[in-house]
Amino acid sequence: MSSPFTALLESLSRQRGVRASLIVSENDGLVVDANLRFGQDGDRVAALAASMYRKARMSASAARLGAVGFLQLDAERGRICAVGGRGDLVIVVVAEPAANVGLIRVELLKALDSLT
Amino acid sequence: MNIATVEPWVEAPLRRYVDDARARLALLLHTSGQVVAQAGFTRAIDVMTACALASAVHATSAELGRQVDGRPFRGLHHAGPQRQLYLAPAETARGAYICLTVFDDESSLGLVRMYFDELCKELMVAAPPLAPLREPALAVDFERDLNANLAAMFGRN
Repeated sequence: MSSPFTALLESLSRQRGVRASLIVSENDGLVVDANLRFGQDGDRVAALAASMYRKARMSASAARLGAVGFLQLDAERGRICAVGGRGDLVIVVVAEPAANVGLIRVELLKALDSLT
Repeated sequence: MNIATVEPWVEAPLRRYVDDARARLALLLHTSGQVVAQAGFTRAIDVMTACALASAVHATSAELGRQVDGRPFRGLHHAGPQRQLYLAPAETARGAYICLTVFDDESSLGLVRMYFDELCKELMVAAPPLAPLREPALAVDFERDLNANLAAMFGRN
């Protein structure tokens, strides 16, 4: 079943090293749509990434740094990248540690523009 | 957050759940409405009221699920302007419990559901097996049991 986000998510998941791409509701932490590789738990990633993004946005706002442009979390076995700021939606990518973050960032920002 | 339990094996999983999910209030009860554990409540009357309402809402939504989908609905979510609630059943070796969770914008439905799944797993592991002979939950001495449970949780004799 396709949704208005299917093409956007497929485009993100085609990037080398990307394990999962999701559109997430920032306030609810729920998956709106997702493109997941086998073994990825979309609900878990959505809940945690949305929470992380919301906390980052609130922290940036409290520090008077303005809006969050791009959020990146590097961990031992992978990285999470997220962009948002268009209503309640956040675009999240889960990638391998060795993935090219520059390319992923460009694709995420393009995807964010196409959401509006 | 203060946590009080009637069944001690519930305390550790419930405490972890409340902390991880950043819940404001949590209530674990039998499907009959008898309280098992509570977190965050300060008055016994609130626990009694919440148990009765949660039990009734769960029974209603379960029956509605049977009517429209052939089986009971699992989770129920209501959102208010400041606070939200999530009501869902947890199966254990000692039977089914209902968990009522109240949370605000410190948490989210996704987080609460995620940690609730973990709570269910932990309760399943922690639950001691049911004794073969057990009085029915809605026996004539229901009120006495209820008062004893509330007294145990709120430290009254």
